[in-house]
Amino acid sequence: MSNSTFTASPFLGKTFGVTVANVTKKFGRTTVLKDVSLEVKPGEIFCIMGPSGSGKTVLLKHIAGLEIPTSGEVRIGDFDAADPETRNKVHLALVFQAGALFNSLSVYDNLALYPREHRECNEAGIRERVMHALSILSLEKAANKFPSDLSGGMKKRVAIARALVMEPQLLLYDEPTSELDPVMSATLTEIIATLREQTAVTSIVVTHDRDLAFAIADRVAFVMDGKIRGVGRPADFKNPTDPVIANFLNPVIDLKNPRFKQLENSHE
Amino acid sequence: MNYLTIIIGHIGGTLLLLVRSLKFLPTLPRQFARFMEQCYLIGYTSLPIVTILSFFIGSVLALQSGYSMENFGAKQFIGTLVGLTMARELGPVMVAILIAGRVGSAITAELASMKVYQEIDALTTMNIPPERMLVLPRLAAIVVMMPVLAIIANLCGWYGGALVCQYTHSISVDSEAYFTALKAYMKRSDVTDGLIKAEVFGFVIILVCCYIGLNTRGGPREIGASVTKAVVTSLILILVLDYFVTKALLMS
Amino acid sequence: MNNTSQSIRVGLFFLLGLALAWITFESLNGGRLFKKPGYTLVAGFANLKGLKTGDEVRMAGVKVGAVGITRLAGHRVEAVIDVEPGVQIPTDAVASVEQSSLLGSNYLGVTFGTPGGPLLKDGDEIKTKPTVDMSEVISQLGNLGSKLEQVVGDIGKSMGGGGGENGNIFQRLDKLVTDNGPKLTATISNLEDITAKIKNGDGTFGKLVNDPKLHDELLASVGEIKLAAADARTFMSDTKGIVADVKSGKGALGVLLYDQSTADNLKMSVANVRSVSDKIAKGEGTLGRLLADDGLYKDAQATLKKADRALDGLGEQGPITAVGVVANALF
Repeated sequence: MSNSTFTASPFLGKTFGVTVANVTKKFGRTTVLKDVSLEVKPGEIFCIMGPSGSGKTVLLKHIAGLEIPTSGEVRIGDFDAADPETRNKVHLALVFQAGALFNSLSVYDNLALYPREHRECNEAGIRERVMHALSILSLEKAANKFPSDLSGGMKKRVAIARALVMEPQLLLYDEPTSELDPVMSATLTEIIATLREQTAVTSIVVTHDRDLAFAIADRVAFVMDGKIRGVGRPADFKNPTDPVIANFLNPVIDLKNPRFKQLENSHE
Repeated sequence: MNYLTIIIGHIGGTLLLLVRSLKFLPTLPRQFARFMEQCYLIGYTSLPIVTILSFFIGSVLALQSGYSMENFGAKQFIGTLVGLTMARELGPVMVAILIAGRVGSAITAELASMKVYQEIDALTTMNIPPERMLVLPRLAAIVVMMPVLAIIANLCGWYGGALVCQYTHSISVDSEAYFTALKAYMKRSDVTDGLIKAEVFGFVIILVCCYIGLNTRGGPREIGASVTKAVVTSLILILVLDYFVTKALLMS
Repeated sequence: MNNTSQSIRVGLFFLLGLALAWITFESLNGGRLFKKPGYTLVAGFANLKGLKTGDEVRMAGVKVGAVGITRLAGHRVEAVIDVEPGVQIPTDAVASVEQSSLLGSNYLGVTFGTPGGPLLKDGDEIKTKPTVDMSEVISQLGNLGSKLEQVVGDIGKSMGGGGGENGNIFQRLDKLVTDNGPKLTATISNLEDITAKIKNGDGTFGKLVNDPKLHDELLASVGEIKLAAADARTFMSDTKGIVADVKSGKGALGVLLYDQSTADNLKMSVANVRSVSDKIAKGEGTLGRLLADDGLYKDAQATLKKADRALDGLGEQGPITAVGVVANALF
């Protein structure tokens, strides 16, 4: 993939900021989010980082309106994210971690579903939009394949292409580079950055990929154990003062860690 | 939360699903292709099994009643018995059970896997309500297809009974006498009552299976659990509803 | 599987379902889903005997329509009949509720009526006759027995007993004999012979007239009716023979006819006998009906058979008594 083939589709000019205000989320007795507050400015790439199980994906689902906060509020621009009506007003696209492609539909139909359902244009117009999105991610050859025939990386690219067809005003990525090889990770990183550059769409990226976050993010938030541990520009975290964040970003690989003593012994 | 609350919650959830789906009824004409696909899956592909099953149910019914009615010298009423039983009871109930097992389970499995693999979430973020795209075409298809399947089941059962009566040595009631007896005591309302029952069963099965599928939480393991739950719930509902619908139809 | 062929299959499938539903509805209840424009008649009964909507209307066993609604109308019940188009029912056709089997399943039977007569039109009322129950048949047979007794008594009276305006035959014959003296002795003895035979109960008719036990038996078991009928016939032919003999002048009685003074009386007697025999031949009166009406005989046949069997079983054991019947039933 090279940038020369890369031109953005005619996105709607408007984009939205996101405000997360004192959101707490409980699943039964476990509290996943504890009084989380964030401010994402329109047009910026905002990365949410944190270890697995810290609640960052749940936070993203709140922004997408798929989860309703136990207390607190998420606002997209002036709209409440939890209100189904908001989706009529904001074109919001979420790139799922596993792609979440429709298995019963071909790649082409996966992409065409949104414009068809919303009757945004005729079949010829839809075809143009779909093929354009596919070409951005060099997926033209996969158009008639089914999701089950695709590799993990291909599925992610198709998922991003499907998000592009929606001409989003707010783009959410859930672990876009997980399970990908380093080259593909780099490509996706380029794509996210270029998309924002060309369309100025607000992008929120949930990831634990340090390289991705530091390469593209305007700002980074660290979520640890359901709480915001720190927010700032990537440069602020080059030499983090917080030991927890420091350990997350630069984990020390200590083969002599006493924790593994038992393991060693058992091998003897 | 006790079981009663959970059950009431599920009833409410199912009814809400119904209301939300019916709200999209005006979009049905432009979902015609999807509706046709569901008609094909629910109706057309169920035809062979419905035919075979109802044929043998009619046959067995004739065989058993022939055996027991011989004692009363009432063999000439086998046609009446098979006809009424198939039309009023066994036809609709067996078709409903088949639909629950064959179509209901498939619907639950499909929707549950879509839910587990976040396809439902993807639809929601794409502002395509799953009720509109996934539930409504299925409900519409079952409404159209269920009476067709039920009437086919009735006729297959009747002919199965007729064949058995004619060619079983111990019964030997010829098919003309069989159908005369069948017609003599059957009214049109017996058949329409059966069709109404089938319609109610089919609708409830599909609705419940959609609800359970869409409310699956967790991983792939829960898909199987949901399918089991959907089929068991459907079967219970068929037989419980059977009682009440029959009672209502007999009173009216 | 492309969308078109899928749609075609679904469409065919749906049409198949519609067709099957149509066939089913059409064949049930005589197809009133798409009712052909026939006409309706009203039939009033005292008792419908379980005739219900949808039952067949048959003319000589052929289905010509179906019972529409049944309703109470004052002191009778009415069945509205939907008659198929093209079926012609004359005004004198009679409808009655018939049973097609002993277990129920009624139909409405309609007789042919007079061919070529005026036809019933839409909304007309058809003549009906009450249906014969088995119990009614039996009670009618009882009546028949008593009427038969009466007739036989009348015949006996005109032959031997009390007087009418013309006196009785034998008194007059007696007088004739007295008036004409010894000439008639032979004749009288002949006649005496006949009457004695009747009185003594010789011959079947004599038995019928004189033996009260036989009367009782006749009433109790209608099976004897057949026998009585046959005997009556024999008697009549006997009587006819005698009359013919007299007419042709054979024997002593014939000679009497040439005697002017008694000729008128004798003529009258013969006329009396003839009128009785004519009546019987024409089928008037109960005995006559019994001889002439085939239908009544058939109606009674099933009952008679049973009675015959009962008689056969008990005949050898002596008189028909209640004890006998009970004993027979028990063992």
